[in-house]
Amino acid sequence: MGRLIAALLVINGIVGQAADSAFPVLEKAYEALRAHDYDRAIVAFTQAIAITPARASIHKDLAYTLLKTGETEAARDHFGEAARLDPADDHVALEYAFLCHETKQTAVARRIFDRVRKRGNTTAAAAFENIDRPLRDGIARWTQAVAIDPSNFSGHEELARLADQRDEFALAAEHYEKAWRLRPDRRALLLDLGRMWQALNRPADAMAALIAASRGAEPRTAEDARALLPARYPYVHEFELALALDPSNALLRRELAYLNLQMEHRREAEGLFERVVEESPDDLLSAAQLGFLRLSRGDENGAMPLLNRVLAGRDDELSDRVRAVLKMPPVLHKQSETSRTLPGEAKMLGEKSLEKGYLKDALKYLRVAHENDPVDFNVMLKLGWAHNLLKEDEEALRWFNLARRSPDRSTAGEANRAFHNLRPALERIRTSIWFYPMYSTRWHDVFTYAQSKTELRLSGVPLRPYVSVRFIADVRGAVGLGASLGPQFLSERSVILALGIATQPWKGIIGWFEAGEALRYRGAPNDLGRIVPDYRGGVAYAKGIVAGRAFAETNLDGIYVSRFANDMLLYSQNRTGFTFAPAQLFWNWNLTVDSRGEYWANFVETGPGVKLRLHNIVFSVSALRGLYLVTGSPRGPMYYDLRIGIWYALTR
Amino acid sequence: MHLLASFVFLPLTFAAADSNSWSEILGTIGVNPSTLGIEILEGDSPRSTSLGFRATAKRITVRSVEDLRNPKLKIVWEKSLDLPIYEMPADARIFTRERWQQAPLVAGLQRDGHAILWLATSPGSPRYARFPYLLQALADLGLEPPFRSARLWAFFDSSYRLRADPDYLARHWRAAGIQAIHAAAWHHWEPDPQSDEYLRRLVEACHRQAIQVYAWLEFPHVSERFWESHPEWREKTALGQDAHLDWRKLINLANPQAAATVADGLRALITRFDWDGVNLAELYFESLEGAANPARFTPMNDDVRAEFKRIAGVDPMEAFASKPFLDFRADLARRLQEEWIGRIKAICKTKPNLDLVLTHVDDRYDQTMRDKIGADAAGLLPLLRQHDFTFLIEDPATVWHLGPQRYRDISGKYSLLTDFPEKLAIDINIAERYQDVYPLKQQTGTELFALVHTASASFPRVALYFENSIAREDWPLLAASSAFVERAERTGSKLAIESRRGVGVRWKGPAQVDNRPWPVANDTIVWLPPGAHVIEPAASPPVLRILDFTGDLRSAKALADGVELAYQSNARAMAVLERRVSRVEIDGESVEPRWMGNVLFLPRGQHLVTLTSRDTQTSQ
Repeated sequence: MGRLIAALLVINGIVGQAADSAFPVLEKAYEALRAHDYDRAIVAFTQAIAITPARASIHKDLAYTLLKTGETEAARDHFGEAARLDPADDHVALEYAFLCHETKQTAVARRIFDRVRKRGNTTAAAAFENIDRPLRDGIARWTQAVAIDPSNFSGHEELARLADQRDEFALAAEHYEKAWRLRPDRRALLLDLGRMWQALNRPADAMAALIAASRGAEPRTAEDARALLPARYPYVHEFELALALDPSNALLRRELAYLNLQMEHRREAEGLFERVVEESPDDLLSAAQLGFLRLSRGDENGAMPLLNRVLAGRDDELSDRVRAVLKMPPVLHKQSETSRTLPGEAKMLGEKSLEKGYLKDALKYLRVAHENDPVDFNVMLKLGWAHNLLKEDEEALRWFNLARRSPDRSTAGEANRAFHNLRPALERIRTSIWFYPMYSTRWHDVFTYAQSKTELRLSGVPLRPYVSVRFIADVRGAVGLGASLGPQFLSERSVILALGIATQPWKGIIGWFEAGEALRYRGAPNDLGRIVPDYRGGVAYAKGIVAGRAFAETNLDGIYVSRFANDMLLYSQNRTGFTFAPAQLFWNWNLTVDSRGEYWANFVETGPGVKLRLHNIVFSVSALRGLYLVTGSPRGPMYYDLRIGIWYALTR
Repeated sequence: MHLLASFVFLPLTFAAADSNSWSEILGTIGVNPSTLGIEILEGDSPRSTSLGFRATAKRITVRSVEDLRNPKLKIVWEKSLDLPIYEMPADARIFTRERWQQAPLVAGLQRDGHAILWLATSPGSPRYARFPYLLQALADLGLEPPFRSARLWAFFDSSYRLRADPDYLARHWRAAGIQAIHAAAWHHWEPDPQSDEYLRRLVEACHRQAIQVYAWLEFPHVSERFWESHPEWREKTALGQDAHLDWRKLINLANPQAAATVADGLRALITRFDWDGVNLAELYFESLEGAANPARFTPMNDDVRAEFKRIAGVDPMEAFASKPFLDFRADLARRLQEEWIGRIKAICKTKPNLDLVLTHVDDRYDQTMRDKIGADAAGLLPLLRQHDFTFLIEDPATVWHLGPQRYRDISGKYSLLTDFPEKLAIDINIAERYQDVYPLKQQTGTELFALVHTASASFPRVALYFENSIAREDWPLLAASSAFVERAERTGSKLAIESRRGVGVRWKGPAQVDNRPWPVANDTIVWLPPGAHVIEPAASPPVLRILDFTGDLRSAKALADGVELAYQSNARAMAVLERRVSRVEIDGESVEPRWMGNVLFLPRGQHLVTLTSRDTQTSQ
């Protein structure tokens, strides 16, 4: 022991390291070593490494101390690190190699001994021979054994492992493959095969082996394969190579089928599902999927035998799914005694949570329901709505897209509409058009507002530039009330061309600004000119709450418009009511104020209203009673207004 | 009043946790949930949220997990689980996380003297299905098991520990409840100054810690050098090749010259070192694939072939898979075992304190073993009537993936086969399993503790194969898992304990047992003999204490000037005394005992020992 400490002290040159930041900790380590307190020494050396991780000598001293406690693998790793930090130190390299050999890392040990023996080291030469000779002998013995009996699985496996340890990659690959072909269910061998092919610079083959090992194998092999695979999802051609290598891998084939389905390659998907169903008649999920695919293209004769097989099978949930699609009455099943959250229960809880607005819970349960039945398109649709309500639109879009493939027309239709409504918002270039003609008894006039806006969505940038064309008109042109001002948004006859920029929505808030020119297509006596610069901008906030049929929504708009004497207006429009789709009954609570104190822009109003939505068109009628908030209104302090409007919006 | 810390009644609270599963987990180390004193939370609950364990909207599919005390360990769940990703309170210590995205899954908190263990989900079924190191996490949060045993055996192969300090290893083993190591003796078959010196140091170090050392033999493997020196005696496979199978290089012990040479070597080996026993292990044939794989099928040496041809008229090379040959082979294995038991017993005449163990694979629970490797326990167990040995049952690799319940079943089957159930022992193989087992390939954590605990309840003796394969994380709780207590009840300051094989009870301060001052105790443990006993605080310690003891304690009494104890031991027993005594009487006769420091060596068998300390000596 004394010799060990002396050696460590000399190796480390500790005397001259008083200024070393690790010195106090190292001093504790050596003091502990002198007292044979290895545990304390290990702690101190570990601390010293944390302070100066790149010093090989500390790793070496820690390794020697770990050896004293029998922690051979940990010692090996620290010798390995010391060897990496100081590649010229043959002594450390040999220590590392010996410990690799002791801890079953024979191939590594053999490589190091080989390298060092070539520098003339006799110890390394002897150690190399001691490792290599049994490997050579073993390879010869097992080569003979498999020659006598080529169907000897363990012979091929043993031979492959010996060749693997001797870096004979081609021989190892050959026998790993032969062993695996004899027992194709042992997909862990595909991992070894993949490793060998990587070493032989056959990346495509290696990828195929690893993909095959990662699908359809037992979870541990699948996870090991995952660690060796690139992080990206495999390409179709890589799946195909994997299937060519491992054609009996039904799960791999099924995953490729779903991938094709996702890519809308229905014919290829159907072909793959057909093969899965043919080779794995018990795979009811694939049978159901294939049945749905055939059904959706009108091949009832092809679909029904498959769906009947699912109906007769033991998977109650899947069978219920098929019943739902075929509009058959559900069957009551005995409740499982082991499962506390049944798949059907998860779906029901998910739907209820969604209905009541508990969106996170809804998501949780619907995910469970989806895991339990990956072909329940109704669950996919609900997942789409849940994500949509959580403003996770990209995720929502993915689910709507999946649900569009439902064989059930109403589910597919709803998903399709949602998909088309949502997709433009996520497109790079999006054009939206809205049009709002409205009649007001207060003004005895018809007003029309419209805008066409094309915006550019830039990835990673929270701002969206856009081009806008606004159209503003009133039929009578009669609402010219102020000396130089008309009520903004009411009485105008202009086309406004503008360039603008808007923020992405954040918690319902959008900021925007436009700079353009207003072209008055019909002049007014007080016009300053036909073409007038128009700068406008503002902040808008919208929030809606739904609880069952009840709803409440608010829209707050703060707007600045340069053309109307730099006025600033604040609109607060609020509605509370009930939905009886496609109609809504509600009560209005509106407030408008402005910075200039114009009478027409400062009022409160309230009253009932009704909306009726037909596709993209919304008809609305509101009966409002209003009170001006500033004196001097030419129309008296209060007013009645019956407002009838049609809103039409289109997004592409 | 001195109370056991874990009996300070802090109620266990399972907020949103399944108390049944936790009872099972804690039970593997003898902890009663009602005395745990650590709050356990599972998943999302108002309580966990209030502590800062908050579920976010993000979710993760968990299949691979990483325990931070051993990040290299590959923990894979058989069934993946979709879980929320949780935010952790700043002062939480994360124990386990998801492997790929590092989402926390198990964490601990210590606030104001209150400990909390939080899990993202339940432990699963079986109870170690998701998180193998929950008990270690609880130990980090302050859990101290109340009981321990010191009766385990462990196999030891020096080739894995060549540069380890024997004193360090021996201390470490004894602290974990190891009573005996069975050291690979084939490395020392031929005398070698360096390796002999290593073994002698190891044996001494073990004896200083009251650990017995057995010579572990793996016939028909004798030694590397023996194989190299005697190619003429090498065993053959059914392909006619030399039988070098895995690490073993098999010798044809059916050859009389080979057997005689090996017998001479064995006598030399046993007399060259201070062994406490001999373990004759796995003396049968290869392999677990049986006749299905001729490349591994033995014995097919000339002697065996000639003998079978003489009896059956056919060369077994032509009919090795036939029932007559498989029966002959099993009988040959039995004859060889009987022959070598006889040889070892003959050697024991010159070393009367040597114990004998026969390690034999189970062929009752897995009944394919007889044909596969020639193992026939029913043929061997009657030998217990003629020879005194321990029959150590090894559960075969074919059943390593099954749960701990198998030990109860194996015990039940073997108890019916012998009149000497107290001579049965079980060997737990801690090794990578070839089956698809989850979450770990090799037993560790709660799974290992469940195996050890159930085995300890089912057999008088439990052996572990092997000490080097026991994970570092498991050692601190091993002694607790091997303790088996039928009943533990506290009434006031008294603690009533009932155990079948004796137990160590965590205790601080002097104790009296069954109303008498108790002398078999150290500063933290009171060692009790089998049966029902009541411990309570004593006013003062006895004049002499036995701090540790390797035998089976039957009774003990504190005398005015020493200690009297009755024990039974299959091997030489060792008692670690507080200090040496001047007078030792065994069965009423004064003897000159052997000492090593304060360790007193006592003879094997059943004896009454009186140690008096009127004239004490301190240790050297």
